[in-house]
Amino acid sequence: MSAWLRASLPQALVIVFFGIGAGLAGNQISPRGLPLITPPRQTHKAEAFIALDQAKQLWYRGAALFLDAREPADYAAGHIGNALNLPALSFAQHFGEIAPMLTRESPLVLYCDGPECDLSQRLAENLRQLSYTNLHILSNGWTAWRQAGLPTTPGGQK
Amino acid sequence: MKSPPIGCCINGILRLLVGGAFVFAGVLKIADPAKFALDVNNYRLVPHEMINLVAILIPWIEVTAGSFVLAGIWLRAAALVITSLTALFFAVIVSALARGLNIECGCFGTMGGKHIGLANLAIDSTLFFLAALLARRSKDCPANVIFKEAGAQKSAPPPAAGLKFPIQFL
Repeated sequence: MSAWLRASLPQALVIVFFGIGAGLAGNQISPRGLPLITPPRQTHKAEAFIALDQAKQLWYRGAALFLDAREPADYAAGHIGNALNLPALSFAQHFGEIAPMLTRESPLVLYCDGPECDLSQRLAENLRQLSYTNLHILSNGWTAWRQAGLPTTPGGQK
Repeated sequence: MKSPPIGCCINGILRLLVGGAFVFAGVLKIADPAKFALDVNNYRLVPHEMINLVAILIPWIEVTAGSFVLAGIWLRAAALVITSLTALFFAVIVSALARGLNIECGCFGTMGGKHIGLANLAIDSTLFFLAALLARRSKDCPANVIFKEAGAQKSAPPPAAGLKFPIQFL
């Protein structure tokens, strides 16, 4: 290790510790401060998940707004009829477009695609943090909906 | 009067670029820590319990190191911190791209909201290179050289004979 690097390392550590101290203090003072230890993920209640039949009834009665949690490219390639796109991975960027159509009590059906997909759960977490309470998750939503021959909007259409 | 060496002017520009970029990026993240925590979470590299802590500390370390670089205090050490951070960010972005994650970078807060890609790697590599250059060069040109020279320029030269102009009394 060269002499200049050896001489600079203690100072570099001081800078890092100074940043850590400032961060902890700033977080305490800031009204937007976060808990230092991330709270455990909210386990989704069983009733948060709905069956395809229930989702179908909500859709035909127009009793719920369907939100597609997938990426815009996936949504554009085809989605549940009348569903809106609110990508879970860029929630903050897109929420402003959807928010005017919602109230805190609006029944919402969230879906993504594939049994392993957790985008609708992530979207639900984001919405819960903003006090939206009437959330329903349709597991493996896109595939299940399509395979059941229910109304979809094909790619290229809004 | 001796003008500042050209190398020191280059150091000044490097300090502005590197320090300014880090202070700017850090302040954007500090302004919305919950959003940055979400970005950190999306990379799926940090244990769940640690996400908030990382989201709180990284931006402040960025701002601190960037401020030290801008102020020219412990310049080499601060440039080393920034070099290490950019190397870490590079590895994190490469890892996300390799796993096919289609997520927001979170590099400059919510600005652009663009998904990670080669552009982020290019920006990160450029900052890495500039910070490493600054760390290397600062030995030959201590930060205070520029200020000393600037101070020398401030002292007014003796007025030319016969010059009767109010400015000489300022």
